[in-house]
Amino acid sequence: MESNKQVPVTVLTGFLGAGKTTLLNRILTEQHGKKYAVIVNEFGEQGIDNDLVVDADEEVFEMNNGCICCTVRGDLIRILSGLMKRADKLDAIIVETTGLADPAPVAQTFFVDQDVADRTKLDAIVTVADAVHLSSQLTDHHEAEEQIAFADVVLLNKIDLVDESGLETVKERIRKINPFAKIINTTKCGVSLNEILNLDAFSLKRVLEVEPDFLESDHDHEHDDDVTSLSFVSDTPLDMEKFQDWFSKLLQTKGQDILRTKGILDFTGESDRYVFQGVHMLMDASPMGKWPEGKVRSSRLVFIGRNLENMNLKEGFENCKSA
Amino acid sequence: MKADLNKFTELNKTKFENRGKELRLGIPVINSVVIGNSIAVGFGDGTIRIFKAGQSSEPIKAHNGIVLCISKDGDDIITGGDDGRFLRISLNGEISEIANFGSRWVDHVTANNGSLVCTSGNNVYLWMAGRKEPKILEHESTIGGVAFDSKGRRLAVSRYGGVTLWKKDYSNKWKSSNLLWKGSHNKVIFSPDDRYLVTSMQENQLHFWRLKDKTDSTMSGYGAKVKSFAFVHDTKFLVTSGSNDAVCWPFDGIGPEGRQPICLPFVGNKLVTFVEPFPNENAIFTGLSDGSVFLSEIEKSSNTIIIRSFTESEVTTISVTEDGSSILIGDMAGNILWTSIWDEENK
Repeated sequence: MESNKQVPVTVLTGFLGAGKTTLLNRILTEQHGKKYAVIVNEFGEQGIDNDLVVDADEEVFEMNNGCICCTVRGDLIRILSGLMKRADKLDAIIVETTGLADPAPVAQTFFVDQDVADRTKLDAIVTVADAVHLSSQLTDHHEAEEQIAFADVVLLNKIDLVDESGLETVKERIRKINPFAKIINTTKCGVSLNEILNLDAFSLKRVLEVEPDFLESDHDHEHDDDVTSLSFVSDTPLDMEKFQDWFSKLLQTKGQDILRTKGILDFTGESDRYVFQGVHMLMDASPMGKWPEGKVRSSRLVFIGRNLENMNLKEGFENCKSA
Repeated sequence: MKADLNKFTELNKTKFENRGKELRLGIPVINSVVIGNSIAVGFGDGTIRIFKAGQSSEPIKAHNGIVLCISKDGDDIITGGDDGRFLRISLNGEISEIANFGSRWVDHVTANNGSLVCTSGNNVYLWMAGRKEPKILEHESTIGGVAFDSKGRRLAVSRYGGVTLWKKDYSNKWKSSNLLWKGSHNKVIFSPDDRYLVTSMQENQLHFWRLKDKTDSTMSGYGAKVKSFAFVHDTKFLVTSGSNDAVCWPFDGIGPEGRQPICLPFVGNKLVTFVEPFPNENAIFTGLSDGSVFLSEIEKSSNTIIIRSFTESEVTTISVTEDGSSILIGDMAGNILWTSIWDEENK
């Protein structure tokens, strides 16, 4: 199906009390004349001001495809497939998750289910975080780490309630978990909506724009966060066969601990840039046109996950370089 | 006076299209149900239309959002919607509400032999003949489909992890047993002889159980989810969508295990999206993702004729009247063809 017919889906995550409902209601009241469907969970905060609110159950299904970390949200498949049969076309769909939800099955649903992928597209994962409480939540709940790890945008809310150094500390912690997420400081979720909607964050084109702070990846384990990120750069072209061999084995054996990956790859003998991005073991990859004139060709690879230091990632990546 | 104004556009049309009635409604067709020689169709704007021989169809507003599911109870149409309502609609268009679940969708409806069923979330609501209040059958996950056996004594409920099989004992109590198979199960049907139970799964495959000894097996090899499947000619074949061919699994004799399906190919390599048996024949109607529909004899694959040419929208329903005289075809873009199957001289 043509991509312009795909309805964008924005996923709102964040802990209870962070301000998800405030943000949701802002989106719904400010986007006049647009038709939104809002999918909420039954334990969520109340008071959503929209005609089309659908209750979901956050039902996580394991796919029976031999991949233990491949889980999807069964309720989303059912509801999104139903919504796509409506006669009146929707401008966008917003999925609100509970504070304790793992974003991976939500994201994986858009990779795995063909009907969902044909008619909708995951636009972005927006995580609302409470600047006051995020640090303790990150320490106490692995779900909070996952929500930061999967975020395309972190809306750091209630910044009026922390001092400047406290704010810097929490931002640093977010960056350490997820160097690509855009962090937006807000009070009462006061953010321009074009910074959180229609981002197309899961498209491969966007991966090309990702410029995380590669050089700042000094791994001082001040907070000892479980989820971290590692990035690698190489100006030596890679051997395609070696890379595919290493990377597919890596995902097959460590896919459960690797939450998100993104990369731009320069293969020997190929004139095109290869771009990919993935969630756990699921991967979207494609050649994305020629390297720009006058720019140095280099491969860049970023991992977000757990126990990354035990995966020999640096060695594995080095071994993919063409001799 | 008949001018040939439409001569050019009609050149590519089939004789079935030329002699039938075509509607271009622009509203997604969800599904349809046959009641005698009438066919009721549910739409993505909450309306239904009832097609009877020689009569035009006016929309009947049934649900606020979408008609999620449509079935029949005797001579009545029953529907469930995303407005949480479970409705009974007579062939004259009179609507009565059986139940209202508010913001919860009514995902599946069925009926047999006086028992009436709808599902919402994890629950089956079962009205026994003459009872006002439903019995609630609870399940651990959302229900993917429901089906009664031919006598209405057993109710199969598909879900995550398998099928719950509810059986009515002679004191009219419903007791459950489980048929387990890992994964999420969607649509479920009994074979017409009640010997087999078949489900389609979230994965691109079907699963079946032989009920006598509860042996089970998987039918796989599909390129897409199998959304439409049905038994043909009593229980001779199970015909399935989800591939570029109409895949027909043999269910006669020892069943499908260890046997190869018959694959009926179509020109253009489009995905089969809907299959419907021709009543009492060893033949099927096959609807494709480009809107075209073919009639084929299963064991003579050369014997295929085109019923409807393409509309560029996937076929979402095909229904044939009980007497086998007329066919209704609907697609995702809201194009409908309602036409007679037989040429005038062959009637």
